[in-house]
Amino acid sequence: MVKRAPAAPAVKVDRASFNYNNIKAVDKLSLEVPSGISFGLLGPNGAGKTTLIRLLVGLLKPKSGGIRILGETPSRKTAHLIGYMPQLHSLYTELSVMQNVDFFARVYRLSDKQQRARRVEEVIRLVDLWPRRKDSVLKLSGGMRQRVSLACAIVHNPPLLFLDEPTVGLDPELRFTFWEHFANLTKQGTTLIVSSHTMDDAAHCDRLAFMRSGKLIAQGTPTELRKATGKAEANLEDAFLYFIHREDKK
Amino acid sequence: MIPNQALTIAARVMQQLIRDRRTMVLLIAVPLVIASIVGVSIPEKQMLDYIAPAILAVLILFFGFLLTGISFLRERSQGTLERLMASPVSKPDIVGGYLLGFLLFAVLQTMILFFYLIYVLDISFYGDLWQIIVFEIIIGILAVCLGIFISVFARNEFQMVQFIPLIILPQIFLCGLLWPVEQMPDYLQWIAKFLPLTYGVDGIRALMLQGQNLLDIGKEIGVLAGYAAGLMVLASLTLRRGAAS
Ligand SMILES: Nc1ncnc2c1ncn2[C@@H]1O[C@H](COP(=O)(O)OP(=O)(O)OP(=O)(O)O)[C@@H](O)[C@H]1O
Ligand SMILES: [Mg+2]
Repeated sequence: MVKRAPAAPAVKVDRASFNYNNIKAVDKLSLEVPSGISFGLLGPNGAGKTTLIRLLVGLLKPKSGGIRILGETPSRKTAHLIGYMPQLHSLYTELSVMQNVDFFARVYRLSDKQQRARRVEEVIRLVDLWPRRKDSVLKLSGGMRQRVSLACAIVHNPPLLFLDEPTVGLDPELRFTFWEHFANLTKQGTTLIVSSHTMDDAAHCDRLAFMRSGKLIAQGTPTELRKATGKAEANLEDAFLYFIHREDKK
Repeated sequence: MIPNQALTIAARVMQQLIRDRRTMVLLIAVPLVIASIVGVSIPEKQMLDYIAPAILAVLILFFGFLLTGISFLRERSQGTLERLMASPVSKPDIVGGYLLGFLLFAVLQTMILFFYLIYVLDISFYGDLWQIIVFEIIIGILAVCLGIFISVFARNEFQMVQFIPLIILPQIFLCGLLWPVEQMPDYLQWIAKFLPLTYGVDGIRALMLQGQNLLDIGKEIGVLAGYAAGLMVLASLTLRRGAAS
């Protein structure tokens, strides 16, 4: 499938804030993600990763500041351009794998019956669940559900994909397969925004942002971030701690 | 005419019900069991004629409310609503899809119960089946919108069930199912006047027993449609809740 390569950055956030009552979940955050890369959003529990992603997919509106995805304000008009895999599995557990994926394919307006059937099969095979396609999601393990959830998010082949902790609960082998697949997607021009707290995921990303208490505390390629610590043997974990300490000293 | 996206959601709602065999069996069996109990416990033909048709209206409200309420609650708590709200479907698509999906079951249930009442319980009948179905659909729309709206206030299935004694039961007691509303104390009559099921039961009796047609029960239809429209607005306004915040 041909992807358009928009001139505008895939994501542009300009001093956006969002708060739940008195919790500042996203705090005057600015961010720009060029298209066609995988971008990792790293941060501890409660850092605001999910809130930021919800702002980007248009589920939440920023209290102040601006958000643009593919050059436009997120709305129902841009919805078909994005894929979203929420942190929860978010599936119809009583329905089968196939019924779930097919439902989201229809929701995203793949109306041609044959094309849709082909695409549904393709993504189910991709997440390696074809033999289990008729089982209800209720009968699947946690990691398998995670895979169905990914299949539902990518079935319409969106140019911009938001994955909220997609590798949680996956075994190392599967995590590797997921990342292999993500690399394929970016090669085809898809932009990936992936949240995570593991540095293992971080190492796979083209660019990273460290997030804490609703703010970005550092941004760059994995190599840049490691170098910033000034220690040759520093890994990403060290880099993250380095930036947290630097932030605390301010 | 009907937007594709609403049809997609309707089809999924039906798939969910059909895959849930036990619920499907209950949907068909419970009305027949209740009708049979009523049939056996009320030997007097005239009394039975009075009460049995009202069951049609009561059950549509009950099942429509309960099934939509629980389905929609799951949609909120499982996170699928979050997915839908980030997708190109609109709120009218979602409400419309739920209406279509459940109304098909409502029609099926109505027909089965209707034939059971006529042929097994031998209830007197002077009307048209299609008019009864149209009237039942209006009650069904009200029930589905009520279910979607009330699901906002429940955090789990147990809480959803607790809304039955609060919202459905008073209507069943006061709708004139067993005693005519006119024989109740004044203040209860006054309350009954505000409960939609009262109009549902009145309407269905008029259609079945008095040989009236839909035009004759314009007042009942108007009140029910008004409630349905109001609840549809409330359901749409609160639909997003639980999708993200
Ligand atoms: N629906 C909500 N209502 C109230 N507060 C919320 C809600 N969702 C999130 N928060 C708060 O906003 C802050 C950021 O939460 P968020 O879910 O964005 O973090 P996160 O980085 O995704 O965390 P995790 O790694 O645990 O998923 C937290 O303090 C959280 O308590
Ligand atoms: Mg999160």
